[in-house]
Amino acid sequence: MTGQREHHPPAGSATTGATSGSETTLAARGSLATGDPARVAGWWSWAGLGARLLVGGVWIVAGIVKLPDPAASVRAVRAYELLPEAVVPLVGYGLPMLEVAAGLLLVAGLGIRVVAILSTLLFALFVAGIAAAWARGLQIDCGCFGGGGFDADASSEYPWEIARDLGLLTPSAALARWPHTRASLDALLLRRV
Amino acid sequence: MARDARERVRAQQRQQAQRARRRRRLVLTAAVLSLLALVVGIGISVQLTRSGITQTADEAPTGTIAEFGIARGKESAPVTLTIYEDFQCPACRVLEELTTPTINTYIEQGTLRVIYRPMAFLDAASTTEYSSRALGGAGCVLDEAGRDAFVRMHDLLFRNQPPEGSAGLSDEQIAGLAAQAGAQRSAIASCMDGGRYDGWVAAATDQASKDGVTATPTLFVDSQQLEFSDQEDPRTTLSQAIGSAARP
Repeated sequence: MTGQREHHPPAGSATTGATSGSETTLAARGSLATGDPARVAGWWSWAGLGARLLVGGVWIVAGIVKLPDPAASVRAVRAYELLPEAVVPLVGYGLPMLEVAAGLLLVAGLGIRVVAILSTLLFALFVAGIAAAWARGLQIDCGCFGGGGFDADASSEYPWEIARDLGLLTPSAALARWPHTRASLDALLLRRV
Repeated sequence: MARDARERVRAQQRQQAQRARRRRRLVLTAAVLSLLALVVGIGISVQLTRSGITQTADEAPTGTIAEFGIARGKESAPVTLTIYEDFQCPACRVLEELTTPTINTYIEQGTLRVIYRPMAFLDAASTTEYSSRALGGAGCVLDEAGRDAFVRMHDLLFRNQPPEGSAGLSDEQIAGLAAQAGAQRSAIASCMDGGRYDGWVAAATDQASKDGVTATPTLFVDSQQLEFSDQEDPRTTLSQAIGSAARP
């Protein structure tokens, strides 16, 4: 029973396992430690659902607005001057679809942990990309919600864009750490038989 | 004793259930990752097709230089001015209005060769992808009626530039300008109708982005990018750059 990962944030776990007697306490800890996904409790189960809808919703919108103009999406990626030309079109064409898919999975609550890890990584990469553009004095629109390319006001936009991505990275990381939340397909599929 | 046995059985059952759950979680993770990979794979191929970027030289209109450039002036001219511009770009229109007489003078003197590098990245600035349609039409004029007609069409498109956010000029109106420029109206209409240069337009725009051009107008005097400032008349900036490039 040791070495199992804790699946609820500390505040949530404090509500269970309060029975007396060493055997029952162990049993309670056991069932908690295995993280039965059907058992969601505590404030995080609701806050986590909110986080999934927020982050997932942003991904869906960000992806969908880029789908109509794939060539523009490629140009937006190229404008960062970070990736080799061989990779630029793949990212430009593939990233919007990945964003939509990840967003839908988060909203539906399917594979929350793995999608939340992906979401965290993507936001970290975006922050790094924008910071790199800023540091090199590039004047580009981040292309986060379509668009991209030259932007005369870019330097005043960079801090806000980075703050926004960090603001979405945080709930993503929390979901990766504590994926058990209300109303998820995960709970439905992984429920104790 | 009986209680111990029951406990042991229960513990065993718990372990089995736990193993089963872990297995299902693993299968779920693998399924989700495969789904994402599949979606991205399909996305890349679909978007690649939809982007319309084709790179075959035989799709370029006859009369282009290096596939996407349209040249004016003597090939032996000591200075080459390359102009990246979009027919939907207001700043390009203003620059064209201001500098065309200057440019024409240098060309007549034999000092300057101009290479227009039209691109169409402002489709979102109209409701009808006017940027791409206008360049497609200009490509038709170049192919059907030659370089001089293209230059006239180029000037006409800037002079008749639709405002941003509008529906732009219709294909019929573009064909009308083409007729003014000296092309045969019906030929241009059918060329545009079939979208003959859609791939060329997309490829020209993609190549401009590969050339590092993220905005229009972007001008190069020989290989030196020209920087305009708010403090100086663009005609002065341009003349000085051409002047110093022409000096041996």
